[in-house]
Amino acid sequence: MIRAEGITKIFGPDGQSILPLLEQGMTKDEIQAETGHVVGVRDANFEIEAGEVFCIMGLSGSGKSTLIRCINRLIEPTAGRIFLNDGESGEREITAMDDGELRELRKRDMSMVFQHFALFPHRTVLANTVYGLEIQRRNAEESLQIGRRVLDMVGLGGWEESYPHELSGGMQQRVGLARALATEARVLLMDEPFSALDPLIKVNMQQELVRIQKDLERTILFITHDLDEAMRIGDQIAIMDAGEVVQIGNPEEILINPKTEYVANFVEHADPTGVLTAGTIALRFDEDQFKRVDDSGDLIYYVRRSDPEGARFGVDRDQRLRAVVPAGHRESVELVGLDDIAERAADETSDGGRRDDLALRCDEQAVLRTVLKGRSCSTVPTVVTDADGRLLGIIDEPELIRGILDKKGHGEQADSNGAGVEPASGGESKP
Amino acid sequence: MSELLEFLRQLFTDPFGLLDIPVREWVTDAVNWIVRTFRDFFRSYVSPPVRGVMELFQWALSSVPPLVFLALAYVIAWRAASWRVAAFTVIAFTFIGFMGVWDQMIITLSLIATAVFFCILIGLPIGILCSRSDWFYTVVRPVLDIMQTTPPFVYLIPAVMLFSIGNVPGLIATIIFAMPPMIRLTNLGIRQVETQYIEAAVAFGSTPREILWKVQVPLALPTIMAGINQTIMLSLSMVVIAAIIGAGGLGLEVYAGLERLNIGQAFVGGIAIVLLAMVLDRVTQGLGEKGPASRAKRSE
Repeated sequence: MIRAEGITKIFGPDGQSILPLLEQGMTKDEIQAETGHVVGVRDANFEIEAGEVFCIMGLSGSGKSTLIRCINRLIEPTAGRIFLNDGESGEREITAMDDGELRELRKRDMSMVFQHFALFPHRTVLANTVYGLEIQRRNAEESLQIGRRVLDMVGLGGWEESYPHELSGGMQQRVGLARALATEARVLLMDEPFSALDPLIKVNMQQELVRIQKDLERTILFITHDLDEAMRIGDQIAIMDAGEVVQIGNPEEILINPKTEYVANFVEHADPTGVLTAGTIALRFDEDQFKRVDDSGDLIYYVRRSDPEGARFGVDRDQRLRAVVPAGHRESVELVGLDDIAERAADETSDGGRRDDLALRCDEQAVLRTVLKGRSCSTVPTVVTDADGRLLGIIDEPELIRGILDKKGHGEQADSNGAGVEPASGGESKP
Repeated sequence: MSELLEFLRQLFTDPFGLLDIPVREWVTDAVNWIVRTFRDFFRSYVSPPVRGVMELFQWALSSVPPLVFLALAYVIAWRAASWRVAAFTVIAFTFIGFMGVWDQMIITLSLIATAVFFCILIGLPIGILCSRSDWFYTVVRPVLDIMQTTPPFVYLIPAVMLFSIGNVPGLIATIIFAMPPMIRLTNLGIRQVETQYIEAAVAFGSTPREILWKVQVPLALPTIMAGINQTIMLSLSMVVIAAIIGAGGLGLEVYAGLERLNIGQAFVGGIAIVLLAMVLDRVTQGLGEKGPASRAKRSE
């Protein structure tokens, strides 16, 4: 949908003259000291798929706001090219557009949500919402209809005739979102939209955005300085440091394999339970970790090498999981999916105790949080299976603890090469 | 040799006697030239619209019966400001009426209305241009300084030469004197609009013209209203001075009173002017504070 190639922005009287210095590999600080120019963004490359939420994360001053403004050219990039492909009119180069084309682009293809809302104080909520439609010169009646519908969607039905200053911060940003959604632009640029909101409202708005996005499937470029926020809503996360994109990946990749110390610092304080998947943290089912103990019957039984007295797992010839026999049991116990256990816990009048005669099954994509929730009702190791029911691995207490504390699974243990990625335990944590 | 000595002596005792810059003659010649060349133009193209607008206002205001006028004044002041201001307005106008200068007050009011009308008509676009072009503002600024600081009496004379005596030259002088705050505050108001609003407007694809009329001007309105308020106050003070060249109304009352050493008459005119000024000030201030843009500002 959007492709950025080598976006560079240098602030100062003659940005072009600095480009060769960048190629020579001078750092941002050196350039600033020698020439007085400020490198806002340095050689940013990324591609955003249609319908994707692409988060750009970094501390203030890392150039993320500059980068997002380069996309709709509120800030003119010094170098680099940006392409938009909406599937209908083919690929267009945003960086080659003249003023008129650029206005058309902003009217129809891209809308924007701002950190401090930037609602027009002299317009009512509804009039703010239809601003973009007004600029598109839509029929007034139709605009108001769309405006009301979008306001309903963001939960502001009934506030149409209020003025922005009569609303709370969270509600104002809902108006900001409504204004951006109303133009029906396929691309939504969101510049730290929830940063100015209270923590509770913020989480609320994130959920709201995810909900709306599920229906509308816009392509969203989302700026934030909060890694948890990025992980909650982002399909892809680009991390920026001093104007450079230092890592791009999905939330889990960033979490388990931070490429630089800067990223590792962020990750250290992130909440992994909503991001890490069962497939990542599970103890892989292979000969290194598991020992064959009994293959006399139809099923082959395995135990964990580090815990030979523990639960036994029975698989058939196709490695499909058929039985789980917890320690101290003779027979296989009931095997329940994670989704079903949540319902069952709600139905049954359980005393909150953990059962030792119930095994849980989940797939690779289940996140750590749901695994933890399931484990609160059972002491038996959780098994991870693929779509065909083949055993992929198990998650027991060591895996859970490792997942929460180290944000790593067994799989990554081998290839994490140590250097630079170890979270600096003594280093000061940035706010 | 003695010539050089003489020169040096004068250089020390009277250096400014060495050269005479004949500004006086230049100005006289220039004004004469302007008057000769443009008098017909001004009298046939500038006078009629000014006079026309003034007569229209005067006709409208004087054809309203006084009681209806009071009722209207009450409603306008109440809607624009508050019931307190409205009450004060009615008391002030009633008092003016009982002092016996109602008709003069109506004339003054129509003179002010005309002056303000032209100040807005000319000042608003110039103010907008100033806000959009630093270059233009640099050129306009000294002109505004001249317009504001020149003693008002000074441009009464060319006004008379161009337009002869009467209400029209008085109005022209008033318009020139009262316009600068309109331009300055329009410019200031638009420049003060926060960049975040401009950025939002640009991000939604607005053209410069749309940004101006949908965002900048509405948000600058409280400041522009302050400019109009200033313009009204200045025209009120100028209208009195304009009586010297034959403008009518309360100013004439004051001027005639002073001329005949009739302190009472001058005082009545003075009190009426003060009351009128207070009413106009409160009502226009109220207007400026009532718009949604300024409401938002207050709540911030």
